[in-house]
Amino acid sequence: MRPTSAFYVVYLFVNCLKFGFSEFNKDRFHEELLIKPLLGGRIYSYFQFTTIWDEEFKSESFHHCHLFPRALGEVVARHNVRELHISLTQGTWRHEKWGYPVVDAPPGAELWVWFKDDTKDVDSEWKHLTGALSGLLCASLNFIGGSNSLSPEMSFTPSGRVEDYGNGKLNSSYLKYATLPREVVCTENLTPWKKLLPCDTKIGLSTLLNAGYIYNTNYLSLGIHLKPICRDEECSTSSIELKQTVSLVYDTAIVGNGCQNWSLRSLFGRGLEGHCPLASSSMIYVDISQNTSSFAFRLDPPPDNIITTLRGGQIGQLAAYDISQMPSYPLFNLAAHHIPPSCVNLGVNIPPPLFHASRYIIGYGQERGGIVTRVYNNHRQELEVLYFENIPWFLPVYMHSLHITSNGKSIEPLKKRYKPGVERKRPYYLEILLKLPPRSVTEISFNFDYIFLKWQEYPPDANHGFYVGSAVLTTYLPYARNYTASPMDGSLIASSFNNGSKHGYIVQLRTEVLLVSLPTPDFSMPYNVICLACTVVALAFGPLHNITTKRLMLTNIQKRGALDWIRSKFWWKAKVKSD
Amino acid sequence: MKFKKMGLLTDPGAGRGKLTQVLVCHHSKLCALSYIGGVIWFTLLARDAFNAGTYFSENALLPGLVKEEFDESAIAKTYLSEINDEADRYPDAVPYPWLIAKLKQLNLDTYTHNFTLHYPLGPGRKFTGKNVYGILRAPRGASTEALVLTVPYRPPNSIHPTTAPSLALALSLAKFFRKQKYWAKDIIFLVTEHEQLGVQAWLEAYHGVSCGRDGVLDAGSLSGRGGSIQAAINLEIHSDQVASIDVKIEGLNGQLPNLDLVNLVHRMCLKEGIRHTFKDRDDPRDSETYEGWMHAFHTLMLMVFTQASGVPNGNHGLFHRVVERVFRSLNNLLERFHQSFFFYLLPATDRYISIGMYMPPLGMIGGGLLIKAFVLWLKMQEDKESSPYSEKSRRDGGEVEEKRENGDSDKEAKIAEDKEENKEKGNNDEELRDEECSKLPNPASFKEQGVQSIRNGLAWACAVFLSAHVIGLALLSSTKGITVIGYEYLGLPTEFSLFIGFVIASLLLIVLFPVVCSSASEKPSPCKSQSNGTEWAPFLNIAALLELATVLLAISMHNFSLGLVYAVVFTPSALWIAPTKSRFGIEAVTIEGFAPKVKSKTSPAGFYQLGKLRKGIQRILWLPLQPIILLVIVSLIYTAVMFPEEFAHFDQSFLTRAFSAASNALTFSVVDSYAYGSWFKAVSQSRAKPGALGGKETTSFQPHIAFLSG
Repeated sequence: MRPTSAFYVVYLFVNCLKFGFSEFNKDRFHEELLIKPLLGGRIYSYFQFTTIWDEEFKSESFHHCHLFPRALGEVVARHNVRELHISLTQGTWRHEKWGYPVVDAPPGAELWVWFKDDTKDVDSEWKHLTGALSGLLCASLNFIGGSNSLSPEMSFTPSGRVEDYGNGKLNSSYLKYATLPREVVCTENLTPWKKLLPCDTKIGLSTLLNAGYIYNTNYLSLGIHLKPICRDEECSTSSIELKQTVSLVYDTAIVGNGCQNWSLRSLFGRGLEGHCPLASSSMIYVDISQNTSSFAFRLDPPPDNIITTLRGGQIGQLAAYDISQMPSYPLFNLAAHHIPPSCVNLGVNIPPPLFHASRYIIGYGQERGGIVTRVYNNHRQELEVLYFENIPWFLPVYMHSLHITSNGKSIEPLKKRYKPGVERKRPYYLEILLKLPPRSVTEISFNFDYIFLKWQEYPPDANHGFYVGSAVLTTYLPYARNYTASPMDGSLIASSFNNGSKHGYIVQLRTEVLLVSLPTPDFSMPYNVICLACTVVALAFGPLHNITTKRLMLTNIQKRGALDWIRSKFWWKAKVKSD
Repeated sequence: MKFKKMGLLTDPGAGRGKLTQVLVCHHSKLCALSYIGGVIWFTLLARDAFNAGTYFSENALLPGLVKEEFDESAIAKTYLSEINDEADRYPDAVPYPWLIAKLKQLNLDTYTHNFTLHYPLGPGRKFTGKNVYGILRAPRGASTEALVLTVPYRPPNSIHPTTAPSLALALSLAKFFRKQKYWAKDIIFLVTEHEQLGVQAWLEAYHGVSCGRDGVLDAGSLSGRGGSIQAAINLEIHSDQVASIDVKIEGLNGQLPNLDLVNLVHRMCLKEGIRHTFKDRDDPRDSETYEGWMHAFHTLMLMVFTQASGVPNGNHGLFHRVVERVFRSLNNLLERFHQSFFFYLLPATDRYISIGMYMPPLGMIGGGLLIKAFVLWLKMQEDKESSPYSEKSRRDGGEVEEKRENGDSDKEAKIAEDKEENKEKGNNDEELRDEECSKLPNPASFKEQGVQSIRNGLAWACAVFLSAHVIGLALLSSTKGITVIGYEYLGLPTEFSLFIGFVIASLLLIVLFPVVCSSASEKPSPCKSQSNGTEWAPFLNIAALLELATVLLAISMHNFSLGLVYAVVFTPSALWIAPTKSRFGIEAVTIEGFAPKVKSKTSPAGFYQLGKLRKGIQRILWLPLQPIILLVIVSLIYTAVMFPEEFAHFDQSFLTRAFSAASNALTFSVVDSYAYGSWFKAVSQSRAKPGALGGKETTSFQPHIAFLSG
């Protein structure tokens, strides 16, 4: 009996292995790190962990996962998701100084999801999906609901493979977009995020993500992007692509030892032990395009390979390190040593990007205010820009006060979509397509009212203020200056190197979030009043009740014997009976 | 009962209580008592028993947990010597290239801000300025909140003491702050030109608003911002050896910072063992003694006068470690300042008087006005009752009086009492009154006369009241016209033409109002209505008293110090001028009656009745309260105090100096109101910073306009 069962177990194990190997062929995992020096001694490091799974984007597909995180797969399958984008961000990306990141994200949490066309009740799926994701990432995504979600028509088209839509038009009712600008991103989000990786943080590039170090950055953004992509050129079948990203911006004035020098050890607290064995490729790229005589640094160890890129008229140079070729001991430490003149230099001289924006609140007091967005077009040609505004319901906006002026002249939007908000139910939605004149600063402004909320709607720190999420601006740039984003048809950082596009380069940027001080009642006052009132009532109630309910009567005091007492008792009983 | 049918505004029977009688009899004593009591109470507030020790309301500041690490003192010295070198190269301007280069070297987001002041009083004069600011982006924030550190730059040619050390300190702080990773709020280092004007322009541009009159201060636009401003600290250090820190808190229009912020600075100085003062005065050594109280009271009054002027006193001085500690504490803030007091007075660095403590004395001071108005109203009722048949009632003596008292004041009690015993007595009462009325010469005509006289009185009072206000408003808005006329036709400088214009206007009013009134009062109507001549004077008096009281309280809610100064100066005069049934006749009463409203403008009208001592004193009392005269007097006193040696000679140069001080005060206040929207110019105060004197002074003018725009 014994040998038979042992054989059976071995047989089963081999079968499993076979099954597993067959799965191996279907999905691949890549880990990449891009390091780019920015203006003012900042270092941008971008991690991208990509899983590509040659499987149709169907619910059944997620029953058996190999490298793809099953926890996420189940959620996606259950809620009929076609495309999913989550970002959890601390700090704000400064486009004016830093150019464009690979993946843009607003401060706080952002979630946008395309549901499949056969979804019956999008709202309820959305509600349940946010709840599930909230548990998956330990974020407050469960606070997303109808009152802060929108379905923008133009700004968020599917970024992955689009199956045939009946009449060839996108139905934006299957899209849900929401932000939580107040969400604070911390270790509790990083840990579950890391668990979605095939190698977790045991080995590979993800070991660099030490919570103690990466939260000392000026900007930190975690991202999860899931979409169907074309499996081949014909695009007849689809694959599933999952990108997990981390964007970090370090300030060498804070983390470095002066001189803008940096190393993996100073940025992440440790060297690199080795690559993830499950990964098909493990690469580190360092942007050395700016490594010129005026701002010279030396990489140690020298790169294996220097890649010259040409994209959108921009020639760049990248130092590439293949981690899978590195020995696991000693720990791999990549360092950049600046050659003295650049120690006192201002840093890389990056020209300002062609297109950037800033947003702020105007007015003072707590009655009326306005929001102004300044959009800069530094290009010598016109730019078509899509502006998407998502105003929470507690900021009633006056659309008649919408003014768009460019260099003093008012301009008319090409397209305008507006849906007024409803208190406690729906945010204000505004989407505008604009044509920015060449070399111009365009101001989009509108006014709002400050309103009182119900007293229970104020958070515990009511006087901190209320957040208004970012506006999103989308455009196609003719040049790829300061541009690092992956192309539409490529999944890896490597695929962006020599990938010119004749349609231009899509840029989607998020503005700053705003802090609005709504009129706040003095919450200590009701507390004091309640305390005082309760004391007064407690002290006054007894005597008052006593005085008002008792009647003073003259009674004859008689000496009563035991018999009288008994009789009185009986008399009372008798009276009760008679009643 | 009868009187109700006459259509009076109130039930005349209501004022017949014993209390009312007492009030009517002793109101002058009561008013004087409440005034004196209020003043004494206020002076007592400087004693520790009447005020409270300061404390932190906002726990999030965590002032005790901040450990200072500032180690850039050496670089501050280097910066200071560099600034001094640069200042030699640019004697009239801010060394922009150097400043911008330094800020950029620190990798701050550096921007410049241009603004223009279109001088409101002269034709086509323009002044431009340029601020420089660098924003330290908080590593732990998303630019939603910001703290501001401002330094006014003063070129060597400025009349004010240099602020180069504070600029050096600000830059070294920026260098130090830059290396810290704990900032959660952006820190904006702002170097301004032209003192307060630069800050005002920057703030207006930051918030996209305009506080002053449109088109006066063109604030320009900012290209970089840092979220909502949570707190701001202004740094002014005049030498690199700082002996003590003086905390200055009074802002525009008497606004004060949250008491927590003030406490924070004092606490940090205490921790660092740095001598810290308020109003350049140490705390009293022993607050229980008379000297201690005097000291605290002196400090308190200094604050009251500065706040009342409504002009920000600008230079807020601090020191490096203290600044570091303060900014770290502010960085800890989770919510904007809201916990502690915004309305307070400080007699010492560690004591405060809250709004709950200082309002009652003011209420007492101003309360006399209300009592007086009430008594006047009662008296008017009495007059109306008695005057048509006053002869009769006087002849009859106490008899009718007594009966009426029975009938009115005790009527209700009596009725209640008599109900069971004697029901006829109540009827008797009615009969008695009917009887009394039937004795009147002609009830019907009296009724008509009464209504008519009240209507006339009201109409006339309203007309005078309104015209006084309209004239005030016209004067306020005529400033530009006056200067343009003075400049273009007479070639006079702005200050001079403005001053002369106001003097002429005041003189005209002083002469014209009495003439109009006296001519009106000679006619039987409308100034005096029919045979009963008192009609419009009491109305006007009551309205004026009520308005004065209301305005006093309203102003004191906004800017207590101004309200207090105003109350102390004007209340006694307003109280003293009583339209008693005096032997000086109705005209005098009439004029005095509206004097509190129109201030001294009309009071000299009584000159044709000179010879009566009391009236004379009253008139003299009102004359200095004429705004322009008050201004001149204060300027004289100020100049005498500042230049005692010239006062000793009392020659022409002294008078010239005083005159220029007065006219400058006027001009500055007008310009301030145009540029900053400082409504206290309109209310009553103006600051003078006479170029030659280089000091500050507080003068009062235009109180009548206060009521309109305040």
